[in-house]
Amino acid sequence: MIRQTLLDLKQKRPNDTIIVVDDGSTDSSYFEACVEGVYLLRHIVNLGQGAALQTGIDYAKKLGCKYVVTFDSDGQHCADDIEKFIDVLRKDEADIVLCSRFLGKAENIPTLKKYFLRLAAIVERILTGIRLTDVHNGFRAINVAKFPDFVITQNRMSHASEIIDLIKRLHMRYVEKPCTIKYSDYSLSKGQSMMNSINIIVEFILGKAIK
Amino acid sequence: MIVIKIFLIAILSVVFLLLALSSRFRTYQRITVIFFYAVLAFLILFPQKADKVAAFFGIGRGVDLVIYLSIAVLSLIVAILYAKVKMNERAITKIVRDIAIMKVRKCNE
Repeated sequence: MIRQTLLDLKQKRPNDTIIVVDDGSTDSSYFEACVEGVYLLRHIVNLGQGAALQTGIDYAKKLGCKYVVTFDSDGQHCADDIEKFIDVLRKDEADIVLCSRFLGKAENIPTLKKYFLRLAAIVERILTGIRLTDVHNGFRAINVAKFPDFVITQNRMSHASEIIDLIKRLHMRYVEKPCTIKYSDYSLSKGQSMMNSINIIVEFILGKAIK
Repeated sequence: MIVIKIFLIAILSVVFLLLALSSRFRTYQRITVIFFYAVLAFLILFPQKADKVAAFFGIGRGVDLVIYLSIAVLSLIVAILYAKVKMNERAITKIVRDIAIMKVRKCNE
């Protein structure tokens, strides 16, 4: 699956730098991800999605990249959406562009998940005051050159909430753009379970309390 | 009564020895451990003595006072350990991240 995602990405975005972070996987993902021209990084132990994102961002900065687009490897995101996200950053209309599956067309989104994500957005709005329609979406474009302090410290799933917190703290201009999410059986099986969101909220609050 | 006292003193002594012999402690931490050992051993041997202290604070029995205090102390220990785990986690993250960046591989199939 990751191989297909990368080949597709490579074909549609031939001039972009692609960085893959393997978060300590125990299957053959690391070798499958070795597509020509891709920078491949590997966490020797599993740290979590937030940590993997930050490793990728760190390395992108090291390579001198100005903009970073975070992209899930399970094929749920669409490489065609990248251009319009980067365009917003290029025109300096915002510092971070987030993807919303509710503004765009989401294919096969389960009803329960849909209402659940809506609820998450409302909780987030109450906690941070940032108005978004879809908070737990892995597709974002970030102007990292302008914000050296944009550092994710929550290793696990609560990084999504942390990013919203960062937007607020660093006074980043944010905008939401529609994007297409393809829900396949594969991406659904890899996605987080909804019960996990309770952990996310607890982690988020603890993370704020204990710095 | 005497059996439970011996039992409690024995457990306390084992814990105390483990803590006292551990080289990880600094002097002030050792002193704290010895102090707690002395207080607890005294309370096990003479539980009635704690009643007066408890009465002073408006608590019925000495044993209740000990329970309340232990809850407070244990919560504090949990908080300290939690902070330490977080610190370790941060260190591990940094190490793993640095290794990942050091060992980056540019693929050309």
